[in-house]
Amino acid sequence: MIRFLLASLLLCSVAVQAQAPEYSEAETRAIVRHGPWPAPWSRDPSNRASGNPEAVELGERLFFDPRLSPSGKVLCATCHAPFRSWQDGRARAFGLAEVDRNTQGLLDVRYHRWFGWDGAGDSLWAQSVRPILEPREMGGSAAQVAALVRGDAELACRYRKVFGMPPPAADEAVLAGVGKALAAFQETLVSGRTPFDEFRDALAVGDLSSMKKYPEAAQRGLRIFVGRGNCSTCHFGPAFTNGEFHDTGVPFFIKGGVDPGRYAGIRKLRANPLNLLGGYNDDAGGESAIKTRQLAEEHRNFGEFKVPSLRNVAQTAPYMHNGSLATLAEVVRHYSEMDPDRLHADGEKLLKPLRLSAGESADLVAFLESLTEIASALPPRRPVQPCR
Amino acid sequence: MEKRRNHFRRIAGVLSLLGGLSSGGAAFGCDLPPGTRVESGRLAISYWTIPANIAVGKPFALELAACPKQSGVAMERVKFDARMPEHGHGMNYRTKVVSLGPGRFHSEGWLFHMPGRWEFVFDLGAERLTHSVQVE
Repeated sequence: MIRFLLASLLLCSVAVQAQAPEYSEAETRAIVRHGPWPAPWSRDPSNRASGNPEAVELGERLFFDPRLSPSGKVLCATCHAPFRSWQDGRARAFGLAEVDRNTQGLLDVRYHRWFGWDGAGDSLWAQSVRPILEPREMGGSAAQVAALVRGDAELACRYRKVFGMPPPAADEAVLAGVGKALAAFQETLVSGRTPFDEFRDALAVGDLSSMKKYPEAAQRGLRIFVGRGNCSTCHFGPAFTNGEFHDTGVPFFIKGGVDPGRYAGIRKLRANPLNLLGGYNDDAGGESAIKTRQLAEEHRNFGEFKVPSLRNVAQTAPYMHNGSLATLAEVVRHYSEMDPDRLHADGEKLLKPLRLSAGESADLVAFLESLTEIASALPPRRPVQPCR
Repeated sequence: MEKRRNHFRRIAGVLSLLGGLSSGGAAFGCDLPPGTRVESGRLAISYWTIPANIAVGKPFALELAACPKQSGVAMERVKFDARMPEHGHGMNYRTKVVSLGPGRFHSEGWLFHMPGRWEFVFDLGAERLTHSVQVE
């Protein structure tokens, strides 16, 4: 009888193993490095307001304040709408006028190294100032923003609480403070866990029964993603981005010229008085500025754009820096059928047409859709008391 | 006759010592600190990264100690870099190298932005030493 039970148990075990998906050691390693989620985070040393609850409140107020634009009609949330994964659903952003690039969502932005499609921002706070000043977005100025903060009792009170002093006389200094408060708020926007995260954690500990809950199509797509698709080389790590810039063969022609991407981004960064090499960096002499100081400007940067995160990607259509691809299926087709001649001669040797079958393409889309959060991780907005 | 033989033995001994100095680092006192050791015919180096493990997308620093295995190896022009030979590109950053004293260097600005095989390239004067690492 005992022998019979043991044999039955053995058979059951063999049957479970036969049904369970099998992953090689290399595949397991590649999958596990896309977690854990949420990833650990530490406050931004270049921003003394980072992680400060008072700064988060001020930043949230400013984020939804149309007075940051002299028109009174455009606010940060015009393009970064909370109900659209903090973007706008348009191919190209439209503030006071249409711009040349797609709006990136703000979820998980705290994990990024560079900001904007061209990385012209080396901190979230400097990047937060850029659309305020851009004529086609909010069309503001340092003087107008500083006058607003100084003149509004509520904003001035909150500024004093965050920075320990009233808004200073120098307009640019107030603008930098506004950027830092906006950044402190955006750092709180973290996406929730996804079906992929549940699978990844189960795989990491060999929990076969939990692994089986992850749809088979998503598992096949994941295998392509970390395997022959080479997608995870750039869409690396828990945030699914290596934080750098690549030419992926997306045309960069715009009305009346070309979008130079990272090439112009580096020049804009160096010319920006709010960059990390300037006097507004609260980590003066620290390590935060090394990336900016040691940045290399290469010819190949022309036409390179930042690798976006893929978390919640199914909710942030349309895609690519210019919003030219409407669906995830179109994005997969782009990489499946891409023209390698479109890439720079001195660009990546990594990108080749994947030549995926219809089934494989659908599997890859199923995997990308599994990166959608199960539930929002954001705390509900609470009523904010007047500042005293 | 015996005197003459001893004289030749002494000359042979001196020549042997000189030969050792020009071909073997040890004879030049190449007692390098622990690290990854790489050698060319004329130079031995030991390098280590800070932190010790290189993670994709995370900045790191690198220190290097160099020791000439021959006389006349100048290290005035020092440049450190890295590349991904299979991908046809290097880093997106240029490292800054600071001398810490004779044959000792500290460099910062390192960041490997992709997983895969990276090749360190150390140019010290006319000498180029390379070493590959797999980064996960």
